[in-house]
Amino acid sequence: MNPASPGTPGRVQGPAPSQPDLRAPARFISMDAAVENKPLRIALVGVPNCGKTALFNRLTGSRQKVANYPGVTVERREGELVSTDGRSLRVLDLPGTYSLNPTTLDEAITRDVLLGRLADTPAPDLVVCVVDAVHLPIGLRLALEVKRLGLPMVLALNRMDVARRRGVKIDAAWLCGELGVPVVPTVAVRRGGADALVEVIEAGRWIAPRAFIPAGQESSREDADQIQHDLQGLLSASGYSPPRENPWFGRIDALLLHPVAGLLILLAVLFVMFQAVFSWAEAPMTWIEGAMNALGVFTAAHLPAGPLASLLVNGVIGGAGSVLVFLPQIVILFFFILALEDSGYLPRAAYLLDRLMGSVGLSGRAFIPLLSSHACAIPGIMATRTIPNWRDRLTTIMIAPLMTCSARLPVYGLLIAALIPAKSIGPFNQQGLVLFTLYAAGIVSALLVAFVMKQFARDRQYSPLMLELPDFQWPHAGNLLLGLWERVKIFMSRVGGIILALMIVLWFLSSYPEPPPGATGPAIQYSLAGRLGAMLEYVFAPIGFNWQIAIALVPGLAAREVAVAALGTVYAMSAAGDDLSAALEPVIANTWSLATGASLLAWYVFAPQCLSTLAVVKRETNSWRYPLIMAGYLFALAYIASFITFRVVRAWA
Amino acid sequence: MGLDSLMLQDFAVALIVLAALSFSAWKLMPARRRLQLLLALDAWSARHPSLARWRERSLKPRIARAVGPGCGGCAAHETRSSQRPR
Repeated sequence: MNPASPGTPGRVQGPAPSQPDLRAPARFISMDAAVENKPLRIALVGVPNCGKTALFNRLTGSRQKVANYPGVTVERREGELVSTDGRSLRVLDLPGTYSLNPTTLDEAITRDVLLGRLADTPAPDLVVCVVDAVHLPIGLRLALEVKRLGLPMVLALNRMDVARRRGVKIDAAWLCGELGVPVVPTVAVRRGGADALVEVIEAGRWIAPRAFIPAGQESSREDADQIQHDLQGLLSASGYSPPRENPWFGRIDALLLHPVAGLLILLAVLFVMFQAVFSWAEAPMTWIEGAMNALGVFTAAHLPAGPLASLLVNGVIGGAGSVLVFLPQIVILFFFILALEDSGYLPRAAYLLDRLMGSVGLSGRAFIPLLSSHACAIPGIMATRTIPNWRDRLTTIMIAPLMTCSARLPVYGLLIAALIPAKSIGPFNQQGLVLFTLYAAGIVSALLVAFVMKQFARDRQYSPLMLELPDFQWPHAGNLLLGLWERVKIFMSRVGGIILALMIVLWFLSSYPEPPPGATGPAIQYSLAGRLGAMLEYVFAPIGFNWQIAIALVPGLAAREVAVAALGTVYAMSAAGDDLSAALEPVIANTWSLATGASLLAWYVFAPQCLSTLAVVKRETNSWRYPLIMAGYLFALAYIASFITFRVVRAWA
Repeated sequence: MGLDSLMLQDFAVALIVLAALSFSAWKLMPARRRLQLLLALDAWSARHPSLARWRERSLKPRIARAVGPGCGGCAAHETRSSQRPR
């Protein structure tokens, strides 16, 4: 007899056990009693990419990131589900795992939460095991393993709509009888797709099965064998047949995963993306720029001359406003990234690049973290938790800041628009080509750094990529809009938050002390910022930076796009009279040489101008050593690259 | 006396600059130090019943966010508590 199969459960009253009880029979738990003293804690558990986060969002109304590839969630997240009678239930979204014997840090979080090993997170009162109905065996195997812990459990059969379309027949009632826990079909991405699950949770119709593993312990090899045996029995008894494969998917995969054609398609996709960033964004950027200029003129005209008008026009509108212009480019870039994420293309790109990454000493698992770093290095560095080997993980962390994050886009956009003519080379936009080159420069230099790090490593063992390729799907319009909205909110909150605050401080430093009587130069030259810029100019003169750039780099250490705002403020303060609210782009085009612009672009490919990234590296490596090494080598690379670029472009131009 | 008064403008500008300086210092402060300050504020406000509402609505969620991962500007890995809309 299958030892995991429960007998007929009897209803008992009492609080849900936080630890499994080896002797206790399977039992129903009353939710009323469980929530008497504290909110019920529900944990969502499942294999990667089975739809846990989508279900979490559906249950809690949260807006956590979902994507069609494994490894998106690397932290536990908490949300609140309020039952129909107003009771509060805490929902935990846990990182995906294939088993409770973890190989990576994110999987260990899931195991530790379920076994109640985390001091700040007690073991859940109820586990909702999310199983992708399309790929039943792999999810069911984990469900059997979780069930052996003896925690109260509900099984959510997710993506039932796709499973039905692809001919997978699952009898939920039969499965419920066999497993001894409630089995509920769900479609997490559809409105109302989790109502049945909520009903089961609220009604308290869930069961604590018999425990087979002592409290707080992991399963042994024998347990794993038994689980595999149980799974085979369950699948053959249920008459399970694998899902019908869409013949088109096979053909598309053959093309996308082809070593030559696949790489060409990947290059073409990236190329179109960067062309679109410049071509499509042109009109909305002009509108925002016009609106900012008009606002500056209006403010200057309606406020009496004095420090307040200067602060608003030069500090706020000239500074923070000059970053706001780049919102359309950010939206277009993320439109492509989110669409690619949702379609299932990205893991295929990881598979394609695995050999190349392996040749420079990177694990194939590094692809997703490095790709995430194109949005922001911080989630990218956190996503390295999915890499089991410490050496591979450290290499990925060290090169993640070289990926071109979205904060660099305003800097690149400003300099390219100011210095590169908007001509076409054949069907291609020249500005788009330069942007593509800058992104490529980031990737190539990251690969080179990884290669150098590999030479110093004692353990040069290659970790092969094991990745589950998700099904293709059309990007979900709701996910796309939600993702774009989140990016807009993040960008706007940065512009209206830290960027605005730093620009006000910079305006103050650029305005005081006031110039002495009889001074002839712009007031900023006599200010604190002006003096600091003059000192820094000695350091940066060999790479072609003027004192205005030197000033902008200082607040730009907080975040890269702050440098654009700082340039806006510094140039507005350097101007006089009617030019106060003039746009930054023509000013740069008229006053900088091509060599200076190219040198600053090279600086931004490498320079670690983001304090948050360094702080996250410290936290993830638990040492100051690695962020200091990172800052040191990236600043050195930035200076050398800018020096060479400045000299070469000046000689050539 | 309106904004035409230079003294009033200086006063307004000083207030804005001070607020911006405090906000920048807060945002750029190491996460651990920020959490320590929030917890100290929480302990202090717990002794004042008149602040209970503000503590529950504003301070507690802020502490929850400070405990969470990320730089605070990224939704992708933000820990937050939210409620299902009914």
